[in-house]
Amino acid sequence: MPDNWGFVTAAYGLTALVLGLYWRRLVRREKELDHAREARSRTARAAAGAATVAERSRQPSRSGHPRSEPASRPPLP
Amino acid sequence: MVRTLGWLSAAALALGLVMAFGVAPREVSQGNVQRIMYVHPPLAWVAYLAFGVVAAASIAYLVRRAPGADRLAHASAEVGVLFTGLAIATGSIWGKPTWGTWWTWDARLTSVAILFVMYLGYLLLRGTVEDRERAARYCAVLGIVAALDMPLVHFSVYWWRTLHQPPSLMKPGGFTGSAAILWPLLVNLAAFTVLYAYLVAKRVRLLRAEAEALA
Repeated sequence: MPDNWGFVTAAYGLTALVLGLYWRRLVRREKELDHAREARSRTARAAAGAATVAERSRQPSRSGHPRSEPASRPPLP
Repeated sequence: MVRTLGWLSAAALALGLVMAFGVAPREVSQGNVQRIMYVHPPLAWVAYLAFGVVAAASIAYLVRRAPGADRLAHASAEVGVLFTGLAIATGSIWGKPTWGTWWTWDARLTSVAILFVMYLGYLLLRGTVEDRERAARYCAVLGIVAALDMPLVHFSVYWWRTLHQPPSLMKPGGFTGSAAILWPLLVNLAAFTVLYAYLVAKRVRLLRAEAEALA
């Protein structure tokens, strides 16, 4: 019987191609989720930081001078 | 651990290739096309294993309602469908030069095709039902029912007259060929099993991350 190397190559090649593509899809999705998670945690940290600044701006100053409301302050030149 | 499994499966697959092309001899009656045997039965074996895991995890989910069991069933079904599709394709490629046809509706091929379509339906069902808990419940039932086709697939070559040969390894009396053919086959069976474990572990981790992102 002839060796039919073409059929052997097709069987092994198809298996390698399909498994390789599936593996790459998993890796890509994993990276996407990692990026999304990092972006979410950055946004949460920034929101927490902004909340702290807003909170401090409403507290009386340490020198005892009264503080104006942040909204009533004129913009800096 | 997942990374270790990945490297282990890469090394095992490389060894399997060396065994299939460097160690295993040229078969007398079929010639070198018989080397497809070192990839086709391992793919079919992993498909059996994957759907067995789906059935076990589905039972565990219905009993305990643990999301981890559902994720394992989902991941294993996806990998199982992939391996079954490849087993059908490589079998078809092997069939053309040896049987003279790409496909025939004999009992083994037909029962495997039914198994493939049932688990494809399982994956579609997951994507169709929006409520996650309900989808998990429906899929658990389907995962158990579909697994009932596996004994039919395995014993079809004994119960009906088929073009497909009887099993080489999983038969009463064990393997009867030479050790030069047996060892490459066993190494490839082990390599594909490790690859299955790696892909499932990776997919389970991904499903957990997706669930956390949605929560």
